[in-house]
Amino acid sequence: MPDGAPAELLRSLAVLVEPPTAGHAAIVEALGLSGAASPGGYADVFAFQLYPYASVYLGAEGMLGGEARDRVAGLWRALGQKPPKEPDHLAALLGIYARIEDVMAHAGAAERALLVEGQRTLLAEHVAPWAFAWSERVAELSPEPYRGWAGLLVGTLRSEVERLGVADACTPRALEEVGPVRDPRTEGSEPFLSDLLAYARSGLVFTRADLAAVAAELDLGLRAGERRYALEHLLAQDPEGVLRTLAGKAATQAEGHEAREVWLGPTSGHFGARARGTERLLLELSTSVGEPAEAIP
Amino acid sequence: MTIDDLNRRVSAARDEVESRGETFYPGASRIHLAAFPPKERWNDWVELDSKAWPKRVEKRYMLVPTTCFNCESACGLLAYVDRDTLQVRKFEGNPEHPGSRGRNCAKGPATINQVTDPDRILYPLRRAGARGAGKWERVSWDEALDDIAGRIRRCLEEERHEQVMYHVGRPGEDGYTTRMLAAWGVDGHNSHTNVCSSGARSGYHWWMGMDRPSPDHANAKTILLVSSHLETGHYFNPHAQRIIEGKKAGAKLIVLDTRLSNTATHADHWLSPYPGSEPAIFLSIANWMIQHGRYDRDFVRRWWNWQEFMTEVHGESEASFERFEEVLRSMYADYTFDFAAAESGIPAERLEAVAAVVAGSGTRLATYNWRSAGSGNLGGWQVARTMTLLNALLGALATEGGTFPNSWNKFTPRPPRLPHQHPKRWSEVLWPDEYPLALMEMSFLMPHLMREQEAFVDVYFTRVYNPVWTNPDGFSWIEMLTDESKIGQHIAMTPTWNETAYFADYVLPMGHSSERHDLTSYEQYDGQWIGFRQPVLRAARERLGEDISDTRDVNPGEVWEENEFWIELTWRIDPDGSLGIRQFFESLDRPGEKMTVDEYYGWIFENSVPGLPEAAAAEGLTPLDYMRRYGAFEVSRNVGKVYEHPVPDSELEDVRVDEAGRVYTRAPVPPSPKAPGGTKIDPDDDGRRRVGVRVDGEIVKGWPTPTGKLEFWSRTLSDWGWPELATPTYVKSHVHRQNLDSDQMPLLTTFRVPVQIHTRSANSKWLDEIAHTNPLWIHPSDARRLGIDKTGDLVRVETEIGYFVLKAWITEGIRPGVAACSHHMGRWKPEGHQGQRIGMMTVALDQSGSEWGLERKAGGGPFASEDPDTLRVWWTDVGVHQNLTHPVHPDPVSGMHCWHQAVRITPARPGDSFGDVSVDTAKSKAVYEKWLEMTRAASRHSPDGTRRPWWMLRPVRPVREAYDLPDREPVGA
Repeated sequence: MPDGAPAELLRSLAVLVEPPTAGHAAIVEALGLSGAASPGGYADVFAFQLYPYASVYLGAEGMLGGEARDRVAGLWRALGQKPPKEPDHLAALLGIYARIEDVMAHAGAAERALLVEGQRTLLAEHVAPWAFAWSERVAELSPEPYRGWAGLLVGTLRSEVERLGVADACTPRALEEVGPVRDPRTEGSEPFLSDLLAYARSGLVFTRADLAAVAAELDLGLRAGERRYALEHLLAQDPEGVLRTLAGKAATQAEGHEAREVWLGPTSGHFGARARGTERLLLELSTSVGEPAEAIP
Repeated sequence: MTIDDLNRRVSAARDEVESRGETFYPGASRIHLAAFPPKERWNDWVELDSKAWPKRVEKRYMLVPTTCFNCESACGLLAYVDRDTLQVRKFEGNPEHPGSRGRNCAKGPATINQVTDPDRILYPLRRAGARGAGKWERVSWDEALDDIAGRIRRCLEEERHEQVMYHVGRPGEDGYTTRMLAAWGVDGHNSHTNVCSSGARSGYHWWMGMDRPSPDHANAKTILLVSSHLETGHYFNPHAQRIIEGKKAGAKLIVLDTRLSNTATHADHWLSPYPGSEPAIFLSIANWMIQHGRYDRDFVRRWWNWQEFMTEVHGESEASFERFEEVLRSMYADYTFDFAAAESGIPAERLEAVAAVVAGSGTRLATYNWRSAGSGNLGGWQVARTMTLLNALLGALATEGGTFPNSWNKFTPRPPRLPHQHPKRWSEVLWPDEYPLALMEMSFLMPHLMREQEAFVDVYFTRVYNPVWTNPDGFSWIEMLTDESKIGQHIAMTPTWNETAYFADYVLPMGHSSERHDLTSYEQYDGQWIGFRQPVLRAARERLGEDISDTRDVNPGEVWEENEFWIELTWRIDPDGSLGIRQFFESLDRPGEKMTVDEYYGWIFENSVPGLPEAAAAEGLTPLDYMRRYGAFEVSRNVGKVYEHPVPDSELEDVRVDEAGRVYTRAPVPPSPKAPGGTKIDPDDDGRRRVGVRVDGEIVKGWPTPTGKLEFWSRTLSDWGWPELATPTYVKSHVHRQNLDSDQMPLLTTFRVPVQIHTRSANSKWLDEIAHTNPLWIHPSDARRLGIDKTGDLVRVETEIGYFVLKAWITEGIRPGVAACSHHMGRWKPEGHQGQRIGMMTVALDQSGSEWGLERKAGGGPFASEDPDTLRVWWTDVGVHQNLTHPVHPDPVSGMHCWHQAVRITPARPGDSFGDVSVDTAKSKAVYEKWLEMTRAASRHSPDGTRRPWWMLRPVRPVREAYDLPDREPVGA
């Protein structure tokens, strides 16, 4: 087990989740990745499919900002750093993690202990709960070098999870307080649509590509627009098929959470349970499509 | 490949890229987390261009460190040099600077305004009409240098050394010019310190042999300020951040300030004393501690010179410490809280509560006074002396969380050439007979002393200093400066126009903080650092491979830096070396050639700064390159109790210990990387030098005082005519109630506004927009009593020599019965003169015999220039110049000008206009003579026939023989 975090590796991984510049080539090469970071590839992955912000995945709304971002900003302050404009961007999170490692090199024993705790909190509460599930989707959906990049990120973060004993950490209270996906039969369709796309509630990372795949599989029309808009119109065309297909995807992601629970701990278990709950709800809804229309989307 | 392997591989790739001077991580990236650009990226820093928003346009900068030249804190700056245009775009903080740690006040970033000021002086100018007439012609540097150097050479050849004088404001450098003057053999160093900090310095000096405090605020349990130090003042930025750290760690903050300053608003205990009563408050606290035994007996026993006091004052050479304690209790018994309450107007119970906090501080009491009350009052030096009594009672000196003497938290490295000669002739204008104990030169009395002594100064430099505006009694300065029988040639060295430069023969353009070299070190925490000011465009272009040997090649216009100027001037004074001066400015490597600034600083960094060569080598740099790249270096930290350091055996040779415990040795002074300086302690009769003191049988370094101890009782003060002031005591101020007429009230004038720094910052548009006027603070109850209806009403303030007219600000933020007006603001230029437009009014000066008037003809306001912002100036009120109406108030002991004024305030009279100033300089002379009567001249009181105690600090020391008194009556006797 290494003594400290691989700060330089984390920094280089962080930089690649930012818009590519000519300078990225040297980093891609240093990381041994294939392909070239291109603006098109970057935009498709990080601007359209998989937004690299913790607040999108840890907030009850599944959107940028809000309390989830505030919580990250609070940790920045606790670490003696002024929060940047987007404190929850993955690049910033990995950057501060590496920075803590740098500072530790010159810290006394007491300060070092505090800094280690800071790293552990950052990882356990603001990165690990979403970054593994998210990275797997990046690896699944991206061209190189982002596919390889995602694999390296998973490997590096897992190494840190094990080094710092994150598996022993409880599920963050803030995540526990977020409810599951609300049942449209009792709460209406609007919350259901939003919740399904909110990772903190559903346990699922649903992308535009997922919706496109559903449309292709069921031979449905995919309306151009936000995910929620597209999903709404897919359900309008073939609710039973869409719900059933989505349930299948939920099962796949639930398996991913469950597999990680061994080394990632209760937080992964929490999301595994969420994903299974979402799967169950989707299946129930798919079988009740024949019931009164207002009960389902 | 493992994670570790990959990490190493990325590190190696980064090192390899950066070793080529290229950037590995592109900017602007979110991984650059610190509030500051990481230093490894300073060579090619990328930021998004804010002006291109919403487009993401990258700007590439080279970040070059320098040191702020506005106040004396010497905070680190980073100049952002545009790599495309090689122009400085902005200034931000330098995180590598140990004192300021990357943080700056408003004045640091505002340097960019000063650099780009459309009205700044860019070329040497020579007057083309009568002195003061406002007519100028551009001349070459060669013409100016030859003329000035020729005149100085004649002074030296004709043994008129005292007729060369260099008058400096804040030096912003450590010892370059004092060594230069020593090399010239000229006792002509004239500082501004007696209008600044001499009061407090004297109080410290007579306790410790060092003259400034260095509080360890961050680790204090109690922080006691006689200042508004969270917002302004010397070292305020480095100190303020540490005061806040201390507060966050639980320290209590006690602030003595008659005004409700921003600092007072942060205090746990804000005391608003009647001006001048501060020593009474401190003595009441000390008395309570003494009477209740709340002091460190062992520290007092070991480190106070109580035996000398008991012997000399009480005739009890065998007195025990317990007997001294008995005397101590008796001495201070009258300084009760009730007494202090009567003097200060602060309830006794509040004072007692503060006393309990102070007494509970142990050795973690951090105290501070620089100007404030120490500079306002007759006897103001007792503020620092009585405040330090509290530290000395608690042993809170040079302790963690306590107060250090400056010299132990400061590092002035030894230069490559050290002049060995000392001036042979004593300057009586600067060090007159009547003020033998003045800590610094009696600079502000110069017009009076020149008149009384019928003196003549042939070559007078004012260097980034503005005595006409800054000093009291400015019209007397104009009278002196325009009298060619008094001042032969006046050279104003300044980056920007000022009220003194109008009366110069030459105006020479000097650089702002990014345009000059200087080396600085200031006491700001328990550590020692050096900071390097450098011409940033020179450093930038050298990084790009150019070879720059003359800073004028990169500075705006023909702005020069001073070191190169002084070297060149000295060579022209002594072109063939026959005067023995040039040798000190010759290259070590290339004998017979001029020393360059690179060689000068390179030598210092390689030879005189412990640890720097090693730190540089670790980065593959020369020490000079290291300092050019990072701008600062921390030499040491946690210096601790130097006075308790044992004297090494190697320094103990043929030792003699006298009856007072002073230890003398024949061992030579060990080599030191520090420049020599400080007090001069005489050897014993056999020529042994003093090396320390014996305390409880152990030989330790002690303090640089005559006794080697903390001098609770000062033999110097006692022997030189002031026995009643030889121990910490209370002197009633000249603005004490008993010294005022019933219609007078004290006017506080010493406070600053947070974003300005005297006249030095006045050409900053940003700072001027924030703070541009100086109303009269007056309490509502006083306003009612005086018939002032509302804020903004015009009032006339009458001093002893004239009056000024300004606007009232009715506020409860000032103690009833006291008025206040910041000495900032009120800048002016005479009609018909060129000069700075932003922040300056245009005035008509009117003289009729000794009666002077200044009438505001036009305020500030918008104007067209190459800077479009100047058309956006929305304010016209730039304040009033009150210092013109202040007579000189020299403290007879410390020499400090006592700034507070006894004034009469009335609503403005018919015909009065805002900004009016009226003064009769005949009255100025009368006030000068009145204060002169309080002095005790060396010629009457010197115990040893000398002009001044040899041991005391002096910026440039003449030869010992020059200290001997001439055979004459004192002036004014």
